[in-house]
Amino acid sequence: MRFVPLVLVALSLVMPDIFAEDAKPITYDDHIAPILKRHCWQCHGETKQESGLNLANYAAAVKGSSGGAVVVSGRSSTSRLFKAITAEDPAERMPPENDPLPKEQLALIKAWIDTGLRQNAGSAATPARTLSFKPSSLKNDGPAPMPEKLPTIERSKTTRPFPILAMAASPRAPLVAVAAYERVDFINPESRDVIGSVAFPEGEPQVLRFSRSGAVLLAAGGRPAQNGAAVLFDVKTGKRLAELGNETDTVIAADLSPDERQVAIGGSGRVVKIFSTVDGALNHTLVKHTDWITAIAFSPDGKLLASADRVGNIHLWDAISGGVVLPLSEHKAAVRSLAWRSDSQVLASCSEDGQIVWWEVSKGWPSISKADAHPPQRPAGIYGKIPNGVLDANFGPNGELISCGRDRTVRLWSHDGSALKSFTIDADSKSNSTPTAIRVLPLRSVVTFDGLRILAGDSAGRVHSWPADGTAK
Amino acid sequence: MLSLFGYDAKGDYERVVNEMPGRRVNVAVPEQSLLLLKSVGAVPHTGGKIIKRDSEHYQSLLRWIEAGAPDDIGDVAATVAVELSNERLLFEQPKDGAALKVIAKASDGSMRDVTKLSRFFSNNDSVAKIDSDGKVTATGAGDTHVFARFSRFTVGAEVIVLPPAAGFEWPNPKSVNFIDELVFDRLQKLRIAPSELCDDETFLRRITLDLAARPPTIAEYRAFLADERSNKRSLKIDELLADDAFADYWTALWAEQLRIIGGNYAPVATDVKAADAFYQWIRKQMRTSRPLNEFIAEMVDASGSNLTNGPVNLYTMLVHKPQFEPKVFAADFSQVFLGVQIQCAECHNHPFDRWTQDDYYGFVSFFTGMKRKPGVEPRERRIYCDTSAPPARHVVDGRPMPAKVLGGIDPVASGGDPRTSLAQWLTSPENELFSRNLTNRIWAQLLGRGIIEPVDDVRASNPPVNGPLLDALSKRLVAAKFDLRSLVRDICNSRVYQLSAQPNASNRRDTRQFSHAHLRRLRADVLLDSVVTVTGVTRRFGGFPEGTRAIDYYPRSAGSTEGPEFGDPFFATFGRSSRGTVCACETKKEPTLSQTLHMAVGDTVRDRLGASGEVKRMLEKGTSPEVMIEELFVRTLSRRPTQDEKTAMRELIGDAVKDQATYEDIFWSLLNSTEFAFNH
Repeated sequence: MRFVPLVLVALSLVMPDIFAEDAKPITYDDHIAPILKRHCWQCHGETKQESGLNLANYAAAVKGSSGGAVVVSGRSSTSRLFKAITAEDPAERMPPENDPLPKEQLALIKAWIDTGLRQNAGSAATPARTLSFKPSSLKNDGPAPMPEKLPTIERSKTTRPFPILAMAASPRAPLVAVAAYERVDFINPESRDVIGSVAFPEGEPQVLRFSRSGAVLLAAGGRPAQNGAAVLFDVKTGKRLAELGNETDTVIAADLSPDERQVAIGGSGRVVKIFSTVDGALNHTLVKHTDWITAIAFSPDGKLLASADRVGNIHLWDAISGGVVLPLSEHKAAVRSLAWRSDSQVLASCSEDGQIVWWEVSKGWPSISKADAHPPQRPAGIYGKIPNGVLDANFGPNGELISCGRDRTVRLWSHDGSALKSFTIDADSKSNSTPTAIRVLPLRSVVTFDGLRILAGDSAGRVHSWPADGTAK
Repeated sequence: MLSLFGYDAKGDYERVVNEMPGRRVNVAVPEQSLLLLKSVGAVPHTGGKIIKRDSEHYQSLLRWIEAGAPDDIGDVAATVAVELSNERLLFEQPKDGAALKVIAKASDGSMRDVTKLSRFFSNNDSVAKIDSDGKVTATGAGDTHVFARFSRFTVGAEVIVLPPAAGFEWPNPKSVNFIDELVFDRLQKLRIAPSELCDDETFLRRITLDLAARPPTIAEYRAFLADERSNKRSLKIDELLADDAFADYWTALWAEQLRIIGGNYAPVATDVKAADAFYQWIRKQMRTSRPLNEFIAEMVDASGSNLTNGPVNLYTMLVHKPQFEPKVFAADFSQVFLGVQIQCAECHNHPFDRWTQDDYYGFVSFFTGMKRKPGVEPRERRIYCDTSAPPARHVVDGRPMPAKVLGGIDPVASGGDPRTSLAQWLTSPENELFSRNLTNRIWAQLLGRGIIEPVDDVRASNPPVNGPLLDALSKRLVAAKFDLRSLVRDICNSRVYQLSAQPNASNRRDTRQFSHAHLRRLRADVLLDSVVTVTGVTRRFGGFPEGTRAIDYYPRSAGSTEGPEFGDPFFATFGRSSRGTVCACETKKEPTLSQTLHMAVGDTVRDRLGASGEVKRMLEKGTSPEVMIEELFVRTLSRRPTQDEKTAMRELIGDAVKDQATYEDIFWSLLNSTEFAFNH
C-alpha cells in the first residue's frame, strides 16, 4: 500500500502537455491509476478480478489477466487493454454497457503504453513508505484536547443540509464531531455551536471515531461508487495526519485501533482492510463477509476486531494477526453499528431487523437480545412489511447504551438492557422545514464523555441534544 | 435494488430514499445521487447506461430529488387503462413508418400521454421494428404485433407490411363455411393466395389420421375413391366422428394433458387403480359426447375417493406430489383450462399481460383448502376441500387474498367450497378465456398450429394471428353447447382444412395464416398405431391387454409418479409427452436421428414386415408384381404409386417376381419414407 495523494486532480490534465518535449512522463501512479480506478477497478481491482485481471496496482496491471499480458510496452495498438477500451462494437468495448472513456483519457493511456509503461516519475526505486503519523501514548492525562482556532474552511454549497451520516463524542472532552457534506464540524454538545471544522474533500464522511486520548479523529467515507478513504485529523489543530485507503466506493465502516497503530476499513468490496498508520502498509485483508461491510469496531483492549455486514453476519477477528476468532450470528438483516463497552467484555450490535444484541464476547452468545427495540407503529389497515430497524447504538461512559431507529425515536438503555428513556426528534424539529411527505430519521446517536447529554443527528442534517436525565433542555 | 417490473413501488421508495440516506438519493447535492449517476453511466452500473443526462427522464428525477424526494401524499390516481393511438398499421412497403402514441387513463378519469414513459417491443423485427419513442418502421412483408408497456398494462397494435402488389392476383376461392370466409379475408388483406384443394387420396389419409388416429385401410381407401357422391368428404367426416376411435383419440389427448400416470406408491394418491378410474371416466364422457364445459366443471368441483370417483383425480394427477400444492396447481390449472400462464404473477405483476399479483393469489385461494386423507384401503385417498383453511397471502404485503376469479373485482361468496363458484365461472358460456382456449386447442390439433401459438401461452403480447377467426370459432363452440364434434365437423368441412400442402408462389413463406396445409409429423402414439394398422401386427404394452392401441396406453410407474414417465420406450424416442409438466411443448413434433434409426433398423418395423403373412398370402394367390406394388403403396401411404415409382419398383423386382423378401424390402422402404411419418 502506498501513501496515497489526492489523485482527483489528475483527471484535469491538459492534453498538449503529454506530448511536450519537456513534459513530465506519463506514469501509472500519477495519471493512469485514477482513470483505471474510476472505470475499471470495480471489476478488475483488489476485490474482484474478472478474467483474473487486476488493474489496481502497477505490478498486477503489467502482469495481465489469466489470458496473458494486456499491455505491451511501446505498442498500444497491440495491447489488449487499449483494444478493449477503444473497440468500435459496444458489445466488445470496456467498460461494458457504458459510453467509451473520454478521448483525453484514452490518449493518456495510449501515451502511457507507448512511452514504456512507467510506474512513477522518479527512479526505479519505490519511494520509502512512511506516514508522518506517530501513534500517541495511551496516557489519558493532561488537558483534554479541544480544537483551537482551526483554520476557516470553505463550506461546500448544498441544496439543503446533508443527512448526518456520522457522529462521535470525544471520550474526554465536551466535544462532539458531526459529519456534514465534505467536512466535519466540531460542536459544543450543549449549545450545538460549531467550534471549528475540518475539510473532507473526499466526499461524505460515513464514520467518525475519536482516539482513546481524544486527540485524533478518524473520518472515513468518500463518494458512493466513486472513491473512498479514511483520514486521521489532529483534533487540536485540524491538521491532516494521514490518509489511508484508495477505494472505488465510499468507506462505510472504519475504526482506529486503541494504540492508534492500525485503521480498519470496509465497504461494498466485502473485505475488511487493516492498514498500518505508521507506514501505510496493508497489514491484513479479512475475507469472510459475503456482503457489504457495514460496521467495524476494535475492542478497547486492542485484542479483537469486530466487523459486520449487510446480511446480518458479524465476525470477530484477532486484531493483531487478523485470524478468525468467532462468528456471531443472530441478526437477520443489515447490521448498522457495532460498539464495544469500555471493559471489552460486551459488544453491542444493532440491525435493520429491529434487534439490539448485547454479546458476551468471551462465549460468543447474546447475553441480552432486544427484538423490536424501535418498534414502528402500524397504521390501521396496512398490511405487510413496514420499515423497521435500529440505525445506531453507542455505549456511554457508564455502560449505558444509546440507540436510534426507524421509529424516529432515540432510546437510552441501562447496562442490563432495560429501556430507561426515549426522546423523539419530532419534538425538537423546527416546524415546516421539510415537506410532510419526507420522513426524517435519526441516523446517529451518542452520549457525551460525562454521560450527561445525549445527541442525535437526523437525515435532515439537524443535531438534537437532550440532557440524559430527561429533564428539559 | 429496484423491484422487478416495479411490482413493489412502496418498497422501491423505501430502498431508494430511506434505506441508506444520502447515497442513492442525495437531497443535499441532488446531482450526486447514485440513482442519477448510475442511470447515466457516470459511475459503474451493473445495469449499464439507461438514460441520457439531457433527457426528460433525467430532469424529472433530478427535480424530484431537488424537491426533497417526497413520497406520495394521500391517494394517488392509479392507471386503470392504457390505449394506443392505432389499433392497426398497414404499410405498403418496407421502410415506411408511423409513430404510435400511448395514452394512459387514470382512476380519476384524467388522460395522459405517456409515450415517453412507455416501453416498446415488436413480436417480429423482420416485419416491423419499434424504437424507444414508439416509432414503427416496416422491415419486411408479413404481419406481426408491436406493443407498448406502461404501468402494469401491455397494449398492442397489429402491423401488416404488404408484399408488392405487382404479380399478385386473388384467386377468389369458394368458401364452404365461415371459417373459409375469415381465413380468406385475412389472406386477401395480406396478399397471400391459398393453395388448391387437396385430392381425395390426401384428404382421406389426412382426415382418418386426424379423427381416427390411424391411416385408412385398403378397404376404406377403395370405398372412398369409388364413392361418386358429391358430398362424400362430408359424409366421411360424419362417419369418422361417429366412430369410437374419435372419442378414444380425444380421451388420449385429455389423459396426456391432465398428466395421467398410474403409480404404485400410496402417498401420491396416483395408484394405477385411480389412473384407470380417471381414464375410464374421461373415455365415457368423450364417447357420450358430454359437453366439454360440463366435463371440465365436474372435474373442477369433484370430491371423494380417488379410486371410485374418476374426475377427482384432477387433484391427484395434474400435479403429482405427495402433498397438494395450491400454487403449483393453480398455475397448471390456469395453463390447461385457460391457456394462461399466471405463475409470473407470483412474484410481480405479469409484465406482458394483464394479470396482477392480486389475481394470482386470489386464484390460488380456490385451492388452498384442498386436502387428502387416507381411505379404507392403502391405495385410496379421499380428496376434499377444507372450507376452514385460510386463503393465500399476498407476497408483498401479506394481505389475505380470498378466492377470486381471474380478472374479477370482488372475491367469490365466502363460506362453502369455493370451487363450486370457480367451476361455474370457468365453464360458463360468458367466459371467453375458457371457450377460446378450448377452441384454439381443437384447431391446433387439426391444423397443426394454433391461432394463438403456443396454445398454452395466451397473453396480451401473444395475440391471435386471426382474431375474428378465433372469435367466430369460439362463439360457434359456445352456440353448439360445447359439443366437441360440432366444432371439429365445421373445421374439417372447411376448404381451409382441406387445402393442399403444395404451396404456391405467394404463400410459400407463410407459416401462420393457414394458406396451405402444413406437413405434420405423426404423434408418437398415432405413428405406432399406423405401423400396426399397415402391417396388421399388433404391439404389446406392459400391463395392458393384447391388442391395446398406442392411443389407449398411458404410462404406469412401478413407484412414485412424480417424475416424467414415458412408459413404453417407443414413446420416449418419438416424443410422446412424458407428462412431466402440463406444457403443450412436452409433446415433441420434431423429427430426430434416433427416430429415423429406430424405424430403419429397430424392431418396430423390422419384425412386422412379414409377420402378418399378408405379403406371402398375396404371392401365393399369384398376384402380379404390378398389383403387389400398388397394394403396398395404398396400404402404407394411402395412394397409388406414380408412373415413375411403378417403373423403378418393377425394375427392382426384376425376375424375382415371387421373392417375398424383395416385396418386404419395398414395404420397408415405404414405412421408412418421410411421407409415411407425416400427415400432409
